[in-house]
Amino acid sequence: MSVLKLNDICFSYGKTEVLKNISFEFEAGKTYCISGRSGSGKTTLLSVLSGLAKPTSGEIFYGEKSVKKIDRYRFRSKYIGVIFQSYNLITKFTALENVVLSMEIAGVRGVKKKQKAMELLKSVGLDESEAKRRVLQLSGGQQQRVAIARALSYNPDIILADEPTGNLDGETEQAIMSIFKDLAQSGKCVILVSHSPTVAKMCDVNYELKKQNN
Amino acid sequence: MYIFKNALKCIGRSKGRNALIGVIVFIIALSACLGLSIRQAAESSREETLKNLKITANISFDRSSMMSSMRDENKGSFDRDKFSENMEKMSGLTLDEYEKYSKAETVEDFYYTITTSVNGSDNFSSVTTESEDESSSASNTKMPQMSNGDLGGKGMGGFGKGGIGGGMQGDFTITGYSGENAMKSFIDGTAAIKEGEVFAEGDENYDCIIPSELAEFNSISVGDSVKIANPNNEEELYTLKVVGIYTDSSANESGMGFMGMTANDPANQIYLSFNALEKIIAASEKNATTETDEDTGRQSSTKLNGQLNASYVFADIEGYEQFQEDVKAMGLDDNYTVSSNDVEAFENSLVPLDTLSKLAGYFLLVILIIGAVILVVLNIFNVRERKYEIGVLTAMGMKKGKVALQFITEIFVVTIAAVIIGAGLGAVGSVPVTNALLENQVAHASDQTDKIEQGFGRLPDGEGASQMQAPPENHGGFKPFENLMGINNENAYVTEIGSATNFTVLLQMLGIGVLLTLISGTVSMLFIMRYEPLKILANRD
Repeated sequence: MSVLKLNDICFSYGKTEVLKNISFEFEAGKTYCISGRSGSGKTTLLSVLSGLAKPTSGEIFYGEKSVKKIDRYRFRSKYIGVIFQSYNLITKFTALENVVLSMEIAGVRGVKKKQKAMELLKSVGLDESEAKRRVLQLSGGQQQRVAIARALSYNPDIILADEPTGNLDGETEQAIMSIFKDLAQSGKCVILVSHSPTVAKMCDVNYELKKQNN
Repeated sequence: MYIFKNALKCIGRSKGRNALIGVIVFIIALSACLGLSIRQAAESSREETLKNLKITANISFDRSSMMSSMRDENKGSFDRDKFSENMEKMSGLTLDEYEKYSKAETVEDFYYTITTSVNGSDNFSSVTTESEDESSSASNTKMPQMSNGDLGGKGMGGFGKGGIGGGMQGDFTITGYSGENAMKSFIDGTAAIKEGEVFAEGDENYDCIIPSELAEFNSISVGDSVKIANPNNEEELYTLKVVGIYTDSSANESGMGFMGMTANDPANQIYLSFNALEKIIAASEKNATTETDEDTGRQSSTKLNGQLNASYVFADIEGYEQFQEDVKAMGLDDNYTVSSNDVEAFENSLVPLDTLSKLAGYFLLVILIIGAVILVVLNIFNVRERKYEIGVLTAMGMKKGKVALQFITEIFVVTIAAVIIGAGLGAVGSVPVTNALLENQVAHASDQTDKIEQGFGRLPDGEGASQMQAPPENHGGFKPFENLMGINNENAYVTEIGSATNFTVLLQMLGIGVLLTLISGTVSMLFIMRYEPLKILANRD
């Protein structure tokens, strides 16, 4: 059964149509790759999926429920974890604080947040001292891991990642991809937006976006 | 809760920006605290003084009210003959009437005096610093014809029961007291018996007390008799027995009688009981002859004119204000008014502090406006600078309202901390600063008064000014020329305040802190609400 379903999604910036009649289905336990050439609307689709942008037409279903009926802040903070291409971390905070903050925004209760955040950071390959550093003092790969830990912090069903390996070297790319694979195996739906053939090859399902001729 | 924690973290991690905001708020708070403290000091000083102020009031003829009603009747033009006619019709209140009003509920004490002017005799002459010739020309001045109550100033009851009066100004002022409570200078310690004793209350014998200077001048001892004469009829003599000699410290301060009139010199003040002086005036009236001026048709009498003055004492200003209403209800004519030198002196004493308070109010307003503008601008920069952070937080699912709340919390914490420090330092500094400013204000106000005095040919402070003073001992509140001439010779200003910052000021400071937070916080909120995370993050990318 699909956790996320797109029905004839269209999106346009003014008169420029970027997405046209997109209908995809995403299931739990699988990795998806949305690929396409530059300007094909990959990042726009990710924004629509994460609730940051509203489709011009069409409908998105989270399970059985239309996303329109879910508060978009709640949708972003609880049901979907987004990993941005440029990480979008709070730079004045440490890696640990970024993860804890994400849990607090999501309203996670009943767990020791700092402890869980540290475990998450360790699980994505950061040690304790790195976790306590401000994010600007971390490398791109380390920031990417912090962003992943943050996306996982409130245990969402869907993980969205925009060019998750775009800024990383081959070795780190492999490491990051194995984290995504593990997440999918643990029952998450992992949707990666990438134009990398390596990433596409490692995913279970590939969707390709075609550039609209406006 | 996490919003508050986040806010604190953000404050700690943006020390420079928050320190700048803190310094600005601190300056605003310090200035505001000083301004508010000055205003509070003025208010407290007024309340405190009023609370402890015993008020003495008099009923006097309200000449200005009559003049204005006449102007109204004549549609703006002023009829001098009618004015004189009206003035002559107005008789001063009688003792019975004064006593009637003393029954008003709020009157705490009541006393009265009668004053007249007499001449000396061969072996009893007035103290004068002038030569004999000058003295004789200065004394025995023919006073203008005045009908009852014509002097009409505050603290004067007008002439007594006698009808038309007029006559010569004598060398001595002789005052009859209703009781010891009327002898204010003896109560406040300005005057004291040196030898003998004060005449008995209600005494009808012609027992009097005289100043030591006068006693020495005429070689008089206690037990001696002195003769006084009616200045309108030198053959009309009365013998007084000196039962006491008193010293008057205020006499040392004034070199000469008022406007050179020896009768107003403190050294030429004779005191006796009201009953005794009333008896003398009654005897004089009995022996009096009346003449009619052929040209003006006005009558003049040789009788001694007694000027009756009654004083009412109230526990506080409310009592005084109530009395003003009560006497009208008890039938006091609209041409009479109740007034108090104490209230005026009290209001005058607060002039510098009130001026300072007003200036502090304007200063406070300017500081708050400028401060609020600076804070708003700083917050606009702050929000714009943290635009990316706002985008990330909202992209993570934090509602804009919560983001705004975090920003407002940051401003609030910084503002309140700065307000507390500013208010603390302001509280410590408010008393010395207020007193220093008040000193300047008092000096300025005194300079102004001195300039006015000099403009009228009077010398400031102590020299000629003392010459302008009314006799310091005019018991019962009667100061014959003081108010007539508009002279306010006692600049008893409030020159110092004890405390300025109190709980009210602290509450107001808190209010200012909240107000500044709200103003600058609202701006932050408006900006945050406008921002769309997608646009921010897309631009960043």
